[in-house]
Amino acid sequence: MPTEPLLRLEAIDKSFPGVHALDHVDFDLYEGETHVLLGENGAGKSTLVKILSGSLPKDSGRIILRGKQVEITSSYHARLLGIGMVYQELSLIPDLSVVENIFLGRLPRRRVFFIDWPRMYEEAQQVLKKLGLIIDPKVPVRHLGLAERQLVEIAKCLSLNERILLLDEPTSALSEEERQRLFNLVNELRERGISIIYISHRLSEVPIVGQRVTVLRDGKKVATLPVNGVGEDTLIQMMVGRELKEQYPKEKMIPGEPILKVQDLEVKGALHHVDFTLHEGEIVGIYGLLNAGCTTLVRALFGLQKTDSGKIYVDGRRVTISSPEEAIGLGLGYLTRDRAGDGLIHPMPVLPNITLANLKEFSQLGLLQHQKERREGEKRIKELRVLPADLGRCAMYLSGGNQQKVVLAKWLCSGSKILIFDEPTRGIDVGAKSEIFQLFNRLVKEKVGILMISSELPEILAVADRIFVMRRGSFTAEYQRGEATQEKLLKSAS
Amino acid sequence: MREKRTKVSNIGNNPESTVSAIASPRISLLMGRLVSMGGEASKKSLLKGGPLIALLLLIAYLSFASPHFFTARNLSNVAVQSSINAILAIGQTMVIISGGIDLSVGAVLALSASVAAVAMTYHGQSMVVGMLLALGTGALVGSISGIVIAKTKVPDFVATLGIMTAARGLALIVTGGLPVPSHKALLEVGAGLPSGLIWLGSGDILGVPVPALVIVAVTIMGWHILTNTTLGRAIYAIGGNREAARVSGISIDRTKIMAYTIMGLLAAVAGIVLTGRLNSANALMAGGAELHSIAAVVIGGTTLLGGAGGVVGTLIGAFIMGTLGNGLNLLGVSAFWQQVIMGMLIISVVVFDQWRRRRFAV
Ligand SMILES: Nc1ncnc2c1ncn2[C@@H]1O[C@H](COP(=O)(O)OP(=O)(O)OP(=O)(O)O)[C@@H](O)[C@H]1O
Ligand SMILES: [Mg+2]
Repeated sequence: MPTEPLLRLEAIDKSFPGVHALDHVDFDLYEGETHVLLGENGAGKSTLVKILSGSLPKDSGRIILRGKQVEITSSYHARLLGIGMVYQELSLIPDLSVVENIFLGRLPRRRVFFIDWPRMYEEAQQVLKKLGLIIDPKVPVRHLGLAERQLVEIAKCLSLNERILLLDEPTSALSEEERQRLFNLVNELRERGISIIYISHRLSEVPIVGQRVTVLRDGKKVATLPVNGVGEDTLIQMMVGRELKEQYPKEKMIPGEPILKVQDLEVKGALHHVDFTLHEGEIVGIYGLLNAGCTTLVRALFGLQKTDSGKIYVDGRRVTISSPEEAIGLGLGYLTRDRAGDGLIHPMPVLPNITLANLKEFSQLGLLQHQKERREGEKRIKELRVLPADLGRCAMYLSGGNQQKVVLAKWLCSGSKILIFDEPTRGIDVGAKSEIFQLFNRLVKEKVGILMISSELPEILAVADRIFVMRRGSFTAEYQRGEATQEKLLKSAS
Repeated sequence: MREKRTKVSNIGNNPESTVSAIASPRISLLMGRLVSMGGEASKKSLLKGGPLIALLLLIAYLSFASPHFFTARNLSNVAVQSSINAILAIGQTMVIISGGIDLSVGAVLALSASVAAVAMTYHGQSMVVGMLLALGTGALVGSISGIVIAKTKVPDFVATLGIMTAARGLALIVTGGLPVPSHKALLEVGAGLPSGLIWLGSGDILGVPVPALVIVAVTIMGWHILTNTTLGRAIYAIGGNREAARVSGISIDRTKIMAYTIMGLLAAVAGIVLTGRLNSANALMAGGAELHSIAAVVIGGTTLLGGAGGVVGTLIGAFIMGTLGNGLNLLGVSAFWQQVIMGMLIISVVVFDQWRRRRFAV
């Protein structure tokens, strides 16, 4: 390793109203190195990389790039300095096409006025292929699923030929296959001398991509260590400041009556003859790779996707569900995968976000019962450890993981008997994850049935009572708890 | 805030002026109290207090610049002059928070006022019937806007633009293009508007102009809907993130229709007050009112993006506009220049607000 780092941060400090997000943090990055940044939700990871990408100003501290002190004033400036970033809450423009998004702000020209479309398509297709994403680059981003959008965001960053890449939870929405591809790509780039700061809550990724790891806690740096020889347990200990008893707590439950039964559900071109039953007190997992149809299935159950045929029974009664309002009325709840798109109401404070799906409970004759609402909100943010624990804070000013907790809280207090969770722990740190699974245990005791889509194999294997594997719109396998292994799931899925 | 209040009321220590009850300082104090529920929240409302500070500075400046400004009579003038805009802007606030915009408010005001005036003057209807007709017309037209927007894919801007044109047309049809009551009717038949209606527009209670009381009532109602009802919650939610609101079981259609219906109702209320004040209604009254109401909302700190804001800021916004107009009149600035200044004001307020938000990251 060369002696002088490519990039050095000295005593970086940043405060937001009421929050000291970064407290004199030192950090460095060598050429051809992947430096993993770990920390609990709200530890300051995103803030740190946003300062480097020019989207947030620092309060104080020095940034030294190639031995020279620089002030990064804007994202544009960061790009001139050779720094590219994949944002945690993706930054794509929905109405522009994939290729336009990838080349945004630097459309290749032919002569002066003409955009070189053929070249753009070709280049776009090349990067996308490397990531294993086979889509028409002309479609608007708005039509893509979250995983696809995440891949496009990564493609955009990779096609920049930058020297420093900042990847903020790039794999949070990806399934196994795409993640593997991304790891290969990241390692390939590193070998070409590119330096990468990599943020993730999936600790298993640390040794695969990283050489060094830095842990932040409450805005302070805990330590920087070489990845070799640090176990997950040590990392967890450093992140949360205590020992974690169990990462996936699970209590045995005997499932009760069927509460949701789906027969022969069909959405032309997306779902084919899907059959399954969910019982009281049961957690059913659904596993599938990119575009397997898992999200289409649950959207259909929640009235967000038209179905062509099939029957749905709730509590043994045949129902048709044509809107989320009806679905909620029947006792369903649905945590979507894309919290920025259809989960969180960003300009609204935390409290109204939490109670939004159950306003009936907190009102009488259309009048809100503020005290009751506040009590519930307080209970929920304590239970899920939303930080800062301020019900009046605008949801958009929370860290990604804390936003996810708010959306989770919304469905936990919705009173639903059938909860559909699409990647419920996306962006949530290990400590909070374990607490969320404790909450699942409690829900299950209250006879709630949970349908959980998860792309995280250890999680789904540990938490689900039964697992369905989906591929190209139909179930290809069903496993009982304990029967499945990572290999089996992957094999049935691909 | 207390400090400011005492200072202001010292300047205005005019014993006979119960009027100053409606003068902006006290209203803003009341509103300040409404905003600040709990300590943390009040700190935030101070941070957000840009428009209030602007209003107070404006009042302070005008009090020094013109001896006629800070008098009970003039302040009650300001309140009366701001009343139409304030009433409309309160409704507009709800629509804008819900992620929409209503360009039809001036036209709906004129249509409801015309319908009521025709019924009362030429068809011998009582004031109560006239008012109910006005409110019914306003609510009906508003709900039509809402339904069109909810059930078709026509954007709010376009739908209400269409409704605006149509409503003006209907108002012309109803009135035959003449003021109601027309001069001729007034002189020859003696048909006029009920005196009660005129009192609504230009009367007073213990020296407080009735339109000022209407503003207070409307503001409290708007504040109540937005903060204390599930409808208000739904309005913020759909404006903040429509898809997320829908997935949480909020009915976008119902919420939109309600917001536009309330807007229509308030346009009718403003129509009644304005008819009373002018002693007549006509199809072209309140021209440009839609833009003024939007300006008041924006000056008051509600963003056009939707999902955030409130009626208290809007009220202050309407008073800033009213006070500025009044002050410029007193200072002898021509009406033409007033428009130019008002336009600059709108832009600078928003620029300042954006700068403040970036600077202090609130
Ligand atoms: N724009 C903002 N305004 C106010 N506070 C903010 C803002 N952005 C972040 N914060 C606060 O700064 C702290 C650090 O946030 P940051 O997003 O860096 O966390 P993080 O480590 O990325 O967490 P996560 O794992 O949840 O993404 C949090 O407490 C958050 O509430
Ligand atoms: Mg983050």
